[in-house]
This record gives sequence, C-alpha cells and structure tokens, in this order.
Amino acid sequence: MFNLSSLVQKAQQFIEPNLVNTGLLSDGRPSKAALFRHQFCLPDSQNPLQEITAELTLPFHHSVKGSDSDSGPKYVGKLHLSEQFLCFSTQASSFLSTASTSSSSSFTGQTHGTGPAGNGFTLPLCGIRRVERQNTPTFHFALVITTTNGFGDSTTAPANSPPQKLKIELAGSRQQCEKFCDGLKRGLREAIKEAGNLRKVIAECYSEYHLASEVAQKEKEAPDTGLGSVFRYPGDSRKLRDKAKMRLWKEYMRENGGNVTLVRQPTFHKLIRVGLPNRLRGETWELTSGSLFLRLQNPELYTDTLSKFSGQESLAIDEIEKDLNRSLPEYPGFQSEEGIGRLRRVLTAYSWIDPDVGYCQAMNIVVAALLIYMSESQAFYLLSVLCDRLLPGYYSTTMYGTLLDQKVFESLVEKTMPILWEHLVKSDVQLSVVSLPWFLSLYINSMPLIFAFRVLDCFFLEGPKVLFQIGLAILRINGEELLDATDDGTFISVLKSYFSRLDESAHPKSENPKLRAVTRFQELMVVAFKEFAGITQETISNQRAKHKDAVLDNIENFAKRTSIRNLGPDSKRLSVNDLGFLYDRFYGVLYERQTRMEMLQQEADRKAKATSARANETVTGIAGNSGVAMGRVGLGPSPTQMDYDAFREFLAGIAKWAVTDSPSSPHRESHDKPSYFNGSVRSRSVSLSPWGSGPEPADHEFMQRLFRRWDKDMNSVLSLQNVVSGLAGVKGSSDIMSNISYFFELYDDDGDGRVDREGILRISEALLFLSRRGMSDVLSPNASTTDFSQSLNGSTDGRRENRDEQFLSSISAFIRRCFEYADPDHASNREGKSDANSVHDSAKAFDAFSIGGDEDDEDLLDLDDKPKSPATPTNTSPPPDLDATPKPNNQTPSRTNAKSANLALDPANPLHLTLPTFRMLILADEQLETFFDTAFANSFRLSDAPVPSSASASSNLTTFSNLSGGRSSSVSAAPVPGAGGVVAPGKGIRGMLDNIVSDGMRVAAEVRRRMDEAQRELEAGGGGAGGVHGQGEEEDEHEELEHDDARSTYARSVREGDRDLLDGAETADVQVQQGESKGVNLMDQPVVEGISGAVGLKVGDESRGRERTGSDASKIVEFER
Amino acid sequence: MADTAGGNAPKPSSSVKLVLLGEAAVGKSSLVMRFVNNDFQENKEPTIGAAFLTQRTQLPHRTIKFEIWDTAGQERFASLAPMYYRNAQAALVVYDLTKASSLTKAQHWVAELQRQASPGIVIALVGNKFDLVSPEGSAAAGGASLDDESEEGNNDANAEDEDAEDSDARKIPTAKAAAYAAEESLLFYETSAKTGMNVQEVFTAIANAIPEASLKGPRGSGGAVGGSTNLGGGQNTENSGRVNLTGASGAIGGKDGCAC
Ligand SMILES: Nc1nc2c(ncn2[C@@H]2O[C@H](COP(=O)(O)OP(=O)(O)O)[C@@H](O)[C@H]2O)c(=O)[nH]1
Ligand SMILES: [Mg+2]
Repeated sequence: MFNLSSLVQKAQQFIEPNLVNTGLLSDGRPSKAALFRHQFCLPDSQNPLQEITAELTLPFHHSVKGSDSDSGPKYVGKLHLSEQFLCFSTQASSFLSTASTSSSSSFTGQTHGTGPAGNGFTLPLCGIRRVERQNTPTFHFALVITTTNGFGDSTTAPANSPPQKLKIELAGSRQQCEKFCDGLKRGLREAIKEAGNLRKVIAECYSEYHLASEVAQKEKEAPDTGLGSVFRYPGDSRKLRDKAKMRLWKEYMRENGGNVTLVRQPTFHKLIRVGLPNRLRGETWELTSGSLFLRLQNPELYTDTLSKFSGQESLAIDEIEKDLNRSLPEYPGFQSEEGIGRLRRVLTAYSWIDPDVGYCQAMNIVVAALLIYMSESQAFYLLSVLCDRLLPGYYSTTMYGTLLDQKVFESLVEKTMPILWEHLVKSDVQLSVVSLPWFLSLYINSMPLIFAFRVLDCFFLEGPKVLFQIGLAILRINGEELLDATDDGTFISVLKSYFSRLDESAHPKSENPKLRAVTRFQELMVVAFKEFAGITQETISNQRAKHKDAVLDNIENFAKRTSIRNLGPDSKRLSVNDLGFLYDRFYGVLYERQTRMEMLQQEADRKAKATSARANETVTGIAGNSGVAMGRVGLGPSPTQMDYDAFREFLAGIAKWAVTDSPSSPHRESHDKPSYFNGSVRSRSVSLSPWGSGPEPADHEFMQRLFRRWDKDMNSVLSLQNVVSGLAGVKGSSDIMSNISYFFELYDDDGDGRVDREGILRISEALLFLSRRGMSDVLSPNASTTDFSQSLNGSTDGRRENRDEQFLSSISAFIRRCFEYADPDHASNREGKSDANSVHDSAKAFDAFSIGGDEDDEDLLDLDDKPKSPATPTNTSPPPDLDATPKPNNQTPSRTNAKSANLALDPANPLHLTLPTFRMLILADEQLETFFDTAFANSFRLSDAPVPSSASASSNLTTFSNLSGGRSSSVSAAPVPGAGGVVAPGKGIRGMLDNIVSDGMRVAAEVRRRMDEAQRELEAGGGGAGGVHGQGEEEDEHEELEHDDARSTYARSVREGDRDLLDGAETADVQVQQGESKGVNLMDQPVVEGISGAVGLKVGDESRGRERTGSDASKIVEFER
Repeated sequence: MADTAGGNAPKPSSSVKLVLLGEAAVGKSSLVMRFVNNDFQENKEPTIGAAFLTQRTQLPHRTIKFEIWDTAGQERFASLAPMYYRNAQAALVVYDLTKASSLTKAQHWVAELQRQASPGIVIALVGNKFDLVSPEGSAAAGGASLDDESEEGNNDANAEDEDAEDSDARKIPTAKAAAYAAEESLLFYETSAKTGMNVQEVFTAIANAIPEASLKGPRGSGGAVGGSTNLGGGQNTENSGRVNLTGASGAIGGKDGCAC
C-alpha cells in the first residue's frame, strides 16, 4: 500500500514538483517526503526517517541579543532525521505518516522572514564529529553534538573559537528517543564515507577562509568568490557597508558555525535581509537554496560533465553561443574572455545534465549574475536547484512554468489590487508582457543589479513567493501612475523609470530625516514583505494548482496547432478533425507507453531500493532531472517517434483488425466473471502489462509492411508526419485505382511492378487478416445481398453477417483467380491463360482448397447450411492440421483440374501478378471493389468515427464472448440451445467468421504448404519463412474456437445482443474518454466511493492530463485497498 | 469634420500595436532596429520574452505610432507568442530569403495569426536579408498586394531573372512567396535590414493598410482626451465613406475585436 501511494506521489511530483502540497492533494496525503525536502532544501534522495520534538540549547553568545542568561538561547522545535541529514526547525512541522496534513504543510504558512526551515540547522551527518548522550533530570535524553566546524582542516581552523557544540534535549517516550538515537547512529556510521566530499566542498567555501586565522589565510589561496573578486562587485562597497557586514557575519559564524554547520537564528535572517556581503553572497545562496547539499553529494559532477562532453556539439551549445555576448554586457567581467568562458562552461555543462531543459534564453542572464558572486561549480549546482525546484518549468521547452506563474501573478493582482486590475482589463494591457521578464530573469534584467541581488538574497532563503511579493509591491507602489497608463508603452515606461530611481529617497520631501533616508528600494522591501506578508508559498501552490490545467491546455492547443500545420503537404488530404484526432492518438499512445515504462521502471527501482537502501541517488548526483521528461506535452519534451510496437498499439486503437485475437494478457482466466470485475481485474495488470489498458495489438505481416511503407525516412520509427502521410495515402484518396495501387505496392517489394507467388499469398493473407473481424460495418450497404441472406436468417443482422461471409468468399475467389490470371515469368508456360476453358478449369481446381461450392460467389451458402463444414475439424485438433482438412474435398475435382491447379501452385513455374491484373481481379468482384473503394480506408477510424478506445474491449474477443452469454436470452427470440451457463459463451458473428477465416487461411496455408513441399523437393530450401504469420494467425483463431463446439445456431441467436453490447460499450467508452479530458468524471468518482479517496483523487487528477482510462483509476483504488 | 489636415493643426495620431514573428535569426530585431534607429548592428540587448519599442510613422494625413513587440528568437518562446500578438493590429512575419525552412515557419505564423489573433489584423510577409542574394543595387519585390500604392520601380524586378543570378544564396524565389502572400492577402516585401532597403516601406504600407475603424486615439497620457481628439479629428478626412458609422466607437473599435 505504501509503495503504491508513494509511486503515485512520485508521478505527481514529476508533473509539478512544487505542487505536492496543493489544494487538490491536501485532503489526502501529500508527499510528506517532498514536503520535508522542500522545507530543508534537501536533495531528492532524502526522506524523513525519524522525527521527535526537541529543544535546542545554544551556548551564550553576544551576537544574539536579548538573551541575558548565560545558558544561551533555546529553541523548541522538531528534530528530523533523514538518510544523510539531521535537521532542526522551529517551524512546527511533522512528516510522520501519522501526522496531519496541516502540520506537514505548516511551513508553507507565513514564515516571517526565516524561510521555510525556520530557526535551527540542516546538518549533513558527515558534518557531525561526535554525539554524546547526557542524562538530564527533565528529559530522557539529551544529545550534545559536536560539529566538524573548527576541525575541518588544520590549516584553516578558526583561530580562536571553541568547537561548536549543540545541545539537544529530546522530548518523547524513552522508546521514541532510543529509536531516534539508533537511527542517528546508523546514519553516522554511513556518513563516514562522505567525509572526503565534505572536505572538498568546504574548501570552496569562503566562510572557512574568512574564519581562519590570519596566519592560516596567508598560507591558503582565497576560495573563488566569483568574477566580482576580479572585476569588482557591482555597487559601491562603501555605500553598501560591505566591510561592516563581513564583520557581523564573521562574528555570527564564529559562534553559529559556517556553511554546512551553520545554525540559523533570527540574526541570520536579518543579516540576509539587509543584503549579503559580496564575498559571502555566493556561499550563502548555496546554503539557503540547498544547492550546497547537491554539491556535497557529488562534488565532481561539474568538472566530470565538462570533460565527459568536451568537444561535443549540440543545439543548446549553438544557442548559448549566440547569447554569450548579450548577458549582462554592461558588467566588465562579461566583456572579457574570462567571464564569457565561465558563462559558456556553466551553461553548457548544465545543458548536458538536463537535456530536457537544455538552454533557454534568460538562463544566460541568471547564470551571468550568479557568476559574479560564485565559482563555476557553485553556479552550476545552484542553476540546477533553480530549474528543478525554485523555478519549475520556467525554462522548459514549453516554458509552462513561466506561463503558469504569470497566470498566478495576474490572479494575485486581481485579488489584492482589484482597481488596478480592472483598469488593466479596461485598457487592454496584458500584465504579463510586463511582468514576465521579472520572473524569468529574477528581476536581474529589470532592476539595477545591486537591487536585483538583494531580491535574490531573499529569494534563495524564502523561495519563489518572494518573486510574487516583490512584483505585487512594485505595482502597489506605482499604482497611481499605472492607473493613468492606458497602453503597453506607458505602462512599461512608468515601471522603467521607477526601477531607475530605486536608490532615491522614497520620501524626499519629508521633514523627518529618517524617513528621508529611506530609499525606494527599502520601501519596496517593506511593502513586499509587510503588506504582502499574506502571500505564502501555500498561496502560490494553490494558485498554481488552480491554473495549471488551463495553462497546459493552452500550451498543448498551441503545440497541436503548430504541429498540425507543419505536417507537410500530405496532411492537406486529411480533414483538420482527423489531423487533430491523429495528433491526440499518436501522442496519446506514446505518452501512455512512456508512462507504463516509467511505472515499470519505478517498480523495479523500488524493489532495488528496498534492498540497497539509498545508494541510488548519490550516484546520479543531481536528483529529479530524470523525471522531468514525463508528463503532458505541455510540460516539455516527450517522445515524438513511434517504434513498431508503438505503431501496433496505435493501429489497434484506430482499426479493429489490428487488435489481436489471442491476447497474451495473463488475466484471461477471469473469463467467467462479470465484465465489471473483469474490467478491473484486467486493468490491475495495466501498469505492468506491456499494452496497458488498451486492446493488445496483433502482429501481422501486413502491419509490418504498412510500418515499413510509412517509415519514409527509413529509420525504423514513425514521426507524426510519417503517420499522417501514411494515412493520407490510405484515406486521403477517393480514387479506387490509387487505393488498389497502394495496396499492390505494399507487396511489390522490389518495386518492379510485379508481385510474385509469395506476394500473392501474402496479399490474400492480408485480405483475410483485415477482414477477419468482418467488414460489414465499413462496407457500404449492398442491396444485392439482401434477399439471399434474409432467407437464411430471417433477420436483418443476418444480412450484415452475410456480407462478411460474402466478402470472405470473395477473397477465396480472389486467391483462386490470382493464380489463374497471374503471368508466368516465362511466357511459354501459360499461353492458355486467356482461354476461357482453362480459366474455368483452374478455377475449379482451386475450389478444391476453397471453402466449397462452385464458381459462384455465393460459395458460403454451403457452409451456412452445413455447420460441420470443413472448418469444424480443426477445432478438435490443435495445432491446426492443414494436411487433413482439405482432403475430403480434394477428392472431387477431376484429375485434369488438379493438374492445372498444380501448375499454378508449382513453384517450379514462377509467376507474378502485375498491377493491371491485380486491378482487374479486384474490380471483377463487387465485394473487393467496395473494399478498395471505401472499406479499407474506412477501416482506419479517425475523428469521424471515434472508436476504439483503449478500454473498450468491444473489439476484443474476450469480452465479447463474456458478455454474450448473459445477454443472449433477453435479446434474442431464437431458442437458446442449452442453458446459458453450460454452453460455451456464444461466439456470435465472431464464431462464424472465425470459421470462415480459418478456411480462407487454410487455403493460403495449403498453397504455401504445397509450395514448401515442392520447394523442399527442389532442394531450393527455405522458401516458406513468410508463412509464419499466416499460420500463427490461424492458431490464434483456432484457440479461440476450442471450447466452442456447439456454436452454430446458438451463435446466430445471440448475435443481436452482442452487437448491442458492442455498441453500448463503445458509446460508454467514448463518454468516459470525454469525461476524462474534461477532468470531471474521474475526479469525483473515487472520492464518492470513499475508498482511499485521496489516492483516487490524485490519480484522477493525473489522468486528466494523461488520458488514462476510467478503469485505471479504479485499479489504483483497488490496489490501495 | 471640416478640419483641414494640411493646416497648422497637428495631424491626428493613432497608435498601432505591431508584433514581429518568425524563426530565430531571420532578422526581426535587426529590422526593428533599422526602423527605429536607422541602424544595423549586432544586438547587444538581451531579449526576454519580447522587446518593446516604439516609432512614429508619418502618413499624409496622420501620424501612426507603432508599438512594436519584437518576440524572442528561441524556438521555445513560441508558446509565449499568443501573449504578444493578442490584440495586435498588425504583424510582421519575417523569413530569411536564404533559408528555406524559415518560410515554412512564417507560413505557420500566418496561419496562427489568421486563426488566433484579432480579426482584421494586418499581416505583412517579409523576406529579409535581400542584400545577401542581390548584387549591389538590384531591386526587390515590394508592396505586392492589397491596396498599397506600389513603390516606384520596385515591382519590375522579375523573379526569374533574380533566381538565375543568385541561385546560391537565395533559397526562396520571390514568385513563390509572392504567390503565397497574394493567396492569403498579405502585404509582401523583400527587405534588407542591413542596407535598409524597403524597411521604411513595409511599415508605411502597414500603416496605410490598417483600417481606419480600428485605429485608436493617441494612447498614453490622458486616454480619454486622446480618444475624443481622435473622433473629432481627421479620421474621416482620408477615407470618406468608410468610417462614418463607426466614428463614435472608433477609438475602441480595434479593441473590441480582440477581447475574445
Ligand atoms: N546580411 C544580412 N544579415 C542580417 C540582416 N538582418 C539580420 N541579419 C543578421 O542575422 C542575424 C540575426 O539577426 P536578428 O535581428 O538577431 O534576428 P532575430 O532573431 O530574428 O531577431 C544577425 O547576425 C544579423 O546581423 C540583413 O538584412 N542582411
Ligand atoms: Mg531577436
């Protein structure tokens, strides 16, 4: 149970990493692990393992004012343990599985400037040097933790500070405390391995250097603190009071630890609010954003990536190159090769590790800004945190995150400043054209750099909500002027002039000198964080959840329009609706397949994880990148090409002949259950079955040929364009002649205009294959057959069936005639070709292998009259005995006939069919003519006839037979032989057709057998490889028939009912699909049913985007139970 | 209505929102730069989303103030485009004469605009980088459609000749693009941002092609005042019959169309 829900959560995170705590999910169980990681900015590998209420006591320090006792400040909060971290926070959050949602998400409320992690620490276990247990009278346990701070490296050891000791008293039952300590012990043991990494990482932290004694400083080179240390940091450092800040930080860190061991107290947050000093800025960003922990896990990833891909080219690299010269060009560092080089390397390395994002304009500006304060490798990890967590989806290939947050921002403006909003609407100014660059480049390109960096200081500490607060404050402060602006231009210029005067006094005319000293930027900060304090991370998350679907829909519609317009000239031959349908279907299949693979993969991973507890994530380094690809088209890159298996699945969704007759799904045993259960049982396997919830596709040689034909680029995959062109070839022409040619060319392998004997057989097989489910619903009504069929069945349904039979008999006649009219490869062999007699003879001869009857196209009459026709024996003899069957009939034809037939079949007399002959043969037969005129094209059902649908097993034999038993008696007036339960489920029209088909197949098989025999005799060897499919197909059919002896009349009597069910199923299915796409039905259902509604809800939410089927959702619920 | 536009009275002024679309690196920003600053240089300005610029164009009877959105080059920014072409009255869809794929992309944008943008949006198809395909001084296609008065002598350059001359660099024959433009009723020009050829002309042609009815008053300070000026002013002087009925709503007429 736990596993599955975590699986679902994981999937949800992939879709929207920051939405784990959305309104949609909050009534259930949001991913506690994700909340935990968000609170402490931990890598994705970390999970909350233990937690306990605790009191943190710090030694007395003069840097922390207001504590006059010498015991130092105390903080009550929660102590959390993950695989590699020990975290303490005063934010009262809990991630225990028993904890309520509100306590899990409490840190998303107002955090009063402390950021989500509150006061406390986030200590990598490898940063702990020693843990002592003390007994105290009030608590069961007290732990004294000595950190590595001060022990790191003898040369950089802080001059005169004592080792950092944190005293933590645990509040809980003895058992709880013991458990926590055991966990901690285990973690500490593991952590020893990471000590080396820690040393490397810390060596790059300026704080270590800053705290070191002067002697030590002289021996060491100062760590890289960005381009600023070479090209000067922006702003006037005296005005920024940089020196004073450095002193304050030094004092703070001496007492509270630096970098990984730092303890967060209110002073820390205040120090950040007033603006970070230049040389500690980069390091503090790393710490507050959590990118430091990524670097700690895999310190070499940056350099490794660069060397691994050195010299390689990519589109991203080209794009990066274009922008290098326009990234903060006004900063001297980026007028030099040094700065440009750094920028190039960081962007390039990131494009390699996150190919889904690659490179997006605006990243150049953000990274350029980071590089002023941090080293390349620090910027690299911070960029990763930006893309994954802080700005999810901003830089993706669809930029959905950007668009989403613009929507969120607009809705916040509407809420908080309704008058301004109304004005914007009235004057038709779209806010996002103004605000989009703010968010996309983190204000770096909008405000003077020094102020943008102040915003960044807060942003890394407090998260994305800061961007919104600042944006709202900008509008609020400029509200009056903006109310006068009525067009984009004025709007932009008002704000531009505001940004250019951020350093001026906010109250230049005030009497009060203190007020006069307040700059406009300070005013902005105050408004942002005081007036808009109510904008919390939760506000943002809720708004994102609210607008997500609309935004994704817009993007997807746009992508779809774009895509459909760019499908090339062939696409003009299909209707816009069909193209839209194909687009959905094509990506639907790819998406479902990918999801299925991911599920399988995750399942495998989970199993692997269970054994080797964590190793995984530490290997991949930066977590969370791998999953981004998954999701809706709107979320970013998704697969765009279809391999043959996907193609089969695609075909099975649009053509019923492409559905297999013998699903290999392991759930066939569930036959006798009512379909409702059958559905859910079946779907249970969905995630693990290679075909998901849809019908399992057949695998016929015809499909392979079609695939090859459509694969114009010869790369064994089909793009949407290939599929559209391919279908345009089939459906797009209204001309029967070109349809016939199309089919013919499929079999003219070498393109010489001839199809040889083998090809003829394959064509016949294909025709049988295509028609084995009947063509009645696609063949246009044909009056000429009516009388005849009515006399047989006395029902209109019989007419339909009869057309199918007629079609099959047409095919068998076709095979016959093919050999009749085929041209000999050596003309001398067959001069009697045009002779009417000989034609007749060979036709007769061929009848020997046919289903019976005479030259007449109504061959099948016999079959209907005598249900125990040649087909029946096969039912008793698996595998099909091809030799035995035709024998009885074989005796009838005369010697001469047989001989001439043999001539046609004799491989020693090679022959071939030309296109004109093929055409003639087709046109000679009304049924086949119709087939090529419309039916074949119509058998691919696009938007005009929405079919098939994954979940509808209607086209699937299994369900068909399941249903028929129950329904037959009520629908059919005909007597039902035997009680419904005893008789094997009626086959309806299927059973009938199966027989006929196997007959037709048998003909082909027999021909092939003889060829093979002859071949063997001729010692030619191995000409029959192509027969595999035909025979396989027959076996399929055969299996299907096995339990089904008493089919005959019964079958016909239930046919009507079957049909209805079929129709019903399809309609129902279509409805479900529609519901899904609107995201309504699925959402409600699981909740109402109340069975772990939360999970159901999540799945429903997910499935809206993914076109899952209804049964899928119920599957999850069941699983959950 | 009796105002004489030629007198000392300032000409009526209207703003027109114009968006540039087209594949990356076809020269959108360069065209705007040429139009706005009469300059051609490597673009140093980082563009995020879209760059906003304004420029005035003088017509005989009025001044048009173009508010130009120059959309960002990268392919992925395409999904932001609706934000910028929304309620635009004019669009410059640019392709690169020397790059075949860029016309396809341009055609996509035309289709997109025709379906999604404000009805009545004036679209100009522009084939840029003419300097690369012509020997010095050769003429290009210009002003090939709609009711635009044809530019002196520009149209007599005949496509076949050109193709023969510079078959290497030119990938898109004038005739092909012109035929497409005619079919879709687009303005059509071949330009060079580098030499400045036809750049001013494109914008002038667009200004002329904007239906009077969709012209707004001068925007900016005091929208209400501007609007009424517009109504009283020269709106009717130029095209007598066209606007009388819509005169009252002329100032907002253009916007009504795009609210949806
Ligand atoms: N020869 C030539 N080059 C041009 C012309 N217009 C633009 N370019 C160049 O094409 C490249 C891309 O131009 P840019 O305006 O940035 O294209 P945008 O991405 O569409 O905005 C730049 O290197 C320009 O110098 C032109 O008319 N002639
Ligand atoms: Mg540009």
